[in-house]
Amino acid sequence: MQSLTDELKGKIIQALNLDKITPTDIKDDEPLFGAGLGLDSLDALDLVSMLERDYGILIQDMDAARQAFASYRTLEDFVQRNRV
Amino acid sequence: MSQFAILAASFISAEGCGNDRTRLRRWPETVAAALQRGEVEALSWSTLFRSETSRFGRMDLLSRLGLMAVELLDAGFETWEPAQRDAVGVCVETCSGCTAADAQFLQTPLAATFAYTLPSTVLGEICIRHRFRGPILCLLPKPGQGGSLEAALGWLNRGEADACVCVACDLMDKKFAASMLSPQDAPGGGWQSGAVLIGRQTGASRKYPLRPDWLPRLARSLVASGIRSAA
Amino acid sequence: MTAPKVAIAGCDGDSSRRLDATPVAIAASGEVTALGLGRERLEEAVLANASGLRDCPRLAGKGYQSTVGGFVPDEVWRSLRERDPAHADAPAFLLADAALREARADLRNGGSSLLDNVPASRRGLVLSTTKAEITALEGAFHQQPISATARRHLFPALLAADLGAAHDIAGPVQCVSIACVSGLIALQQGALLIQEDKADLVFVVGVDLFSDFVLSGFTVLRSLDPGGCRPFDAERKGLSLGEGAGAVALARRETPAFPALTVTGWGSSNDANHLTGPSRDGSGLALAMNRALKKAGAAPRSIDLAHAHGTGTSYNDAMEGMALRSVFGNPVPPYCSSKGLFGHTLGAAGLLETIVCLIAARHQLLPGTPRLQCPDPSVPDSLLQKPRPAESLRRILKLNAGFGGVNAALVLEWGGG
Repeated sequence: MQSLTDELKGKIIQALNLDKITPTDIKDDEPLFGAGLGLDSLDALDLVSMLERDYGILIQDMDAARQAFASYRTLEDFVQRNRV
Repeated sequence: MSQFAILAASFISAEGCGNDRTRLRRWPETVAAALQRGEVEALSWSTLFRSETSRFGRMDLLSRLGLMAVELLDAGFETWEPAQRDAVGVCVETCSGCTAADAQFLQTPLAATFAYTLPSTVLGEICIRHRFRGPILCLLPKPGQGGSLEAALGWLNRGEADACVCVACDLMDKKFAASMLSPQDAPGGGWQSGAVLIGRQTGASRKYPLRPDWLPRLARSLVASGIRSAA
Repeated sequence: MTAPKVAIAGCDGDSSRRLDATPVAIAASGEVTALGLGRERLEEAVLANASGLRDCPRLAGKGYQSTVGGFVPDEVWRSLRERDPAHADAPAFLLADAALREARADLRNGGSSLLDNVPASRRGLVLSTTKAEITALEGAFHQQPISATARRHLFPALLAADLGAAHDIAGPVQCVSIACVSGLIALQQGALLIQEDKADLVFVVGVDLFSDFVLSGFTVLRSLDPGGCRPFDAERKGLSLGEGAGAVALARRETPAFPALTVTGWGSSNDANHLTGPSRDGSGLALAMNRALKKAGAAPRSIDLAHAHGTGTSYNDAMEGMALRSVFGNPVPPYCSSKGLFGHTLGAAGLLETIVCLIAARHQLLPGTPRLQCPDPSVPDSLLQKPRPAESLRRILKLNAGFGGVNAALVLEWGGG
């Protein structure tokens, strides 16, 4: 049974078409947006779509979501707490 | 005599790729077969270039083709001053447009996919990568009609740009073309991408009369034969 | 990169250098929008600061972020289809053709002899569109029967060719597709065709449909205001899409016997920043504006009205405010947005919004910004909420910006007669 970490990192890579990135490249405490993984606003939207589709999490407010997306760790915590 | 000259040319198709200095190089066997079948996704940035690129994987295939053609020019844009890049005009012409990306969006409606459902997104990607902020144009001509070379010359002659990058890129799935268009209208299907860099240059040795349908053919012929120097 | 290379001599003696400086004027216009068919409907709405946006019940329950848009009225669609049953399932052609017919009628009614004197070989067409007949692709995807004509028109170059053929145009035909600045760029191309002596009469037409395709796209981008757009409003939440077509006839301004709007300058640029968000400081748009002003030989303080892109998204309107400040300093001239009038009409926007400028100039009226309720305090305060008579409306700067970091600006001058 895959851990949530492996599963979620894999889904991020797939949903965002991240080339040459493997799950081990996604560091838990580095920023996801801007620096670190370097995601942008289009990625934020597609991340939200993936969370909705695969974890049943509905995000109404993108600004609030940005806080949850600060790093991989905050994102995983967010998913753990809110998944359906 | 015109004071403007073609400084570099590049070309990519199932035949091969290259610029006016490397000439047209055939693909390795492994890649060639896939490309002959129209699998443009077989072209990976890292097999062609040592430079880094941002988010190539999420770009649609048309944008990848256009961006690669500009990279193949090997013009050293990364050494150009910001003021120089501010004065680079970019003109894209595409007969196929982005129908391939459109079909992809209908399949998977994602934000990143939607961003590529405009024929001009390739122009945006080129400008973002190279920080070009000059005048812009994106034309959808009929096959053989061209237009970007004329537009670029106009910018240069009127002093609206100091250099221009003209790119012709096309991507049309043969089956899709056949399903949508009658044989006389279909642009044939297939894919290719060619680019030229035009800038200020004196003392050039040869002149090419400008014909509007020439960008893909011009790019290919310059790559195949090279551009002769004055010396 | 040192060896000198191949020089280019121009075609036919380098026509781009043989530039005729005679100003290019808008000799006529034609339009079909959410307000209806023809300029009177549009004029009434501009004068009244009315909005043609409405809710579309058919779109409810499908998960779209907004069902409010600028829809061409059903009765207009019915009459267009009745008039031209061969194009019944080719709505992009129907709209563009309608706008062109209106423009030709406007040309005749204005007493112009251009249609009689300019042979077909000296008439040109420039089409501006972002998605053309996208319904054909939607239909094919859903395995519905789609006519050959509609399928042809999925390809903008073929739509342009057919429109040219339908309107006795045998000179140059071009198709411009460059996101939301397509219209202004098409106008630039049209003006150039005349200045380079490739045509004496050029019709520039912009068209886009309200489609599920584009509505889905802006839904996943979360860029729509569920309640309808409110440009430059403190509470703005996003844009509203619109459909329509706008056409203008361009010709040399030979004899200023009557007042006309001339195109005296234009400019474009790329932000070189991000695909779907404008560069935060508005510097890309400012570049395009300054280029247009320079080409027109116009000082910023000589601009009487800036007609903004003003989509109603948080980012665009803030960016435009910065661009306006950057170019004009203090004070920024009066400025407005017409997106609340007929929605964001994408490829038609540059044409329809230029036609609003034409209406404004004719009436010597500064347009308002329909659907604006409470101006955002952080945008320049010369924002026009309601229309008001202008002391002198002579020089207008029209702006648009779009995906891929594209920016365009046009300088329009009213005078003569």
